[in-house]
Amino acid sequence: MISSLVLSLKVLAVDVPLLLVIGTSLGWLLARRNFRGKEALSLLILLPVVLPPSVLGLYLLMLLGHVPLMRELGLLFSFPAAAMAPLFPSLPIMVQSARSGFASVDVGLEDAARTLGDGELAVFWRVSFPIAKRFLMAGLALASARALGDFGVTLMIAGNIPGRTQTLPLYIYSRVEALDFAGANMAAILLTGVGVMSLWLVRRMEGVHGGAS
Amino acid sequence: MEERLDVRFLKKLGSFRLDVALTLGTEIGVIFGPSGAGKSQTLRVLVGLSKPDEGYIKLNGRVLADASKKVSVPPKDRRIGLVFQELSLFPHLTALENVAYGLKCGDRLEVAAEWLHMVRLDGLSDRYPHQLSGGQRQRVALARALAPGPDLLLLDEPFNALDGPVRRALRRELKDLFNETKTPIIYVTHDIEDVCSMADRVFFIRDGELAASIPVQSLWDPSVQGSIWHSLGWGTLVHGTVEERSGLCWIVWDGGRLALPPTVRVKGDVTAFVAPHHVKLLYHDLPVDLELEDNVMEGVVAERVVLGGTTRLFVRACNLQWQVEFLNGSYVTMELSEGQRVRMAVKPGCIYILGSAPNSCPLDPCTETQFEQERSAPFPALDEKGEMAYEGEDLDHRGSLGASSLARSHTDRR
Repeated sequence: MISSLVLSLKVLAVDVPLLLVIGTSLGWLLARRNFRGKEALSLLILLPVVLPPSVLGLYLLMLLGHVPLMRELGLLFSFPAAAMAPLFPSLPIMVQSARSGFASVDVGLEDAARTLGDGELAVFWRVSFPIAKRFLMAGLALASARALGDFGVTLMIAGNIPGRTQTLPLYIYSRVEALDFAGANMAAILLTGVGVMSLWLVRRMEGVHGGAS
Repeated sequence: MEERLDVRFLKKLGSFRLDVALTLGTEIGVIFGPSGAGKSQTLRVLVGLSKPDEGYIKLNGRVLADASKKVSVPPKDRRIGLVFQELSLFPHLTALENVAYGLKCGDRLEVAAEWLHMVRLDGLSDRYPHQLSGGQRQRVALARALAPGPDLLLLDEPFNALDGPVRRALRRELKDLFNETKTPIIYVTHDIEDVCSMADRVFFIRDGELAASIPVQSLWDPSVQGSIWHSLGWGTLVHGTVEERSGLCWIVWDGGRLALPPTVRVKGDVTAFVAPHHVKLLYHDLPVDLELEDNVMEGVVAERVVLGGTTRLFVRACNLQWQVEFLNGSYVTMELSEGQRVRMAVKPGCIYILGSAPNSCPLDPCTETQFEQERSAPFPALDEKGEMAYEGEDLDHRGSLGASSLARSHTDRR
């Protein structure tokens, strides 16, 4: 179990920064900019929410296994695949939170910053980001929990190789298969704990506490 | 007077055309006109948040925008301060940090603290905007816009949501700040009282066209004022005689009469101005407010126009055509189609006699209008004590004190 736990933590270490950066950028783009294909992009990002993980995993398997250049990278059934897989189902959660976070920032505040000498980058870092931060953090907590718990997509493209791609959810599955319920329970309690903690974090972020509005 | 701002531009917004031509020296200019006339849009173009389709904007000889050369300096480099109608204080920053926002120098927090002192908010620097009263927020917004030392200060109906005493105090404060900084100011309002108490020069705006520019003195010059007010085409003008009857002052004309507030000193032939939102419709089945009792008129709706969020009625009553304006959604239970009979009334305090001394409002301002009540957001009653002290005698003391510290902070930064 320790090796699975370490692996899951490694996956999180890769995914959390990626979720934050990619999710925040996409959320900002969807909330603040108008461009061609914006609707299509937003639907594409949401697609993993409605697709069964096995379907999503299958498509990714084909993409990484059959498309020439992708195939040569040899990502399948390795740690990079295990790290990448949870991104797909969890990114939509982060993007949605970031989008509604940035949409909630009064455009007048950003205009005020502009008249006070800020360029677009400074407006983002000094006004939009700090005000939307609660949404971003709440989104990040939910998305990270989802990433940590990913089962289907990981199984499809990374497999279930102990020590290499067997993350905690896959470990639980293997233990149950081996009728080792005690081991499965240990890991399950751990994941439940993380899930409850992330919900508590979201509550705190969304709560009245601080209420700067 | 030396010309500092020179503006001439055209901006199309859908079917609405904004056509603006104005020049301003070192003075306070007021843009006056009804809601929806394009006042706020004019400010947005000046400050660079919106680009003109044609024309140019020059400030102190610097070209800020020139549509023919496709030049448009971004807002951050224009050195124009703007106090937004909603104030737009940063909710995640304290009062001090808000004021310091536009300052780039090393001692920005000290300079910001000086500005908070200037606007009499010492001791409140750690409060967040939602912990401040309406008047205090206004002053933070003012200090924030002025702190970077802009070449021009724009204010968009800044005192709209405030009640009478705070409003008057802030107006005085703004004039003081102008006298100290000599930064030209453009102030947008639909309140006639703002015009007479603040402005050196008035720009009239109507249906997107801003052209007429009049020094305030001549606004009160009886020989020209009639035509000016007519050209504005907004509000109702009453030509009549002031008479005293049964202990009250009345303005009497052929067709009707209205009671004036007791503070009126003028006698003889006068012209009075009544803003459209100061004419109140009366429900037939409800008793009339005591204050309005003497000034009830009956009339017929001649025309009904819906402009943006407000409805304007033209009502024929007492031999005059009255303009009545209210927010859409008021009086929904009343039948107000054209040809309908209505009862309406004007508070004595809302009748402004034109043609009196320049720069002074002859009457007690009409502060508690329905219009303002509907707009004003309730603000927390924090530190109302500070607000009241502000009305007191130490105002003059502050003015002179502020001047020196301000001059210092200005030279420090340049």
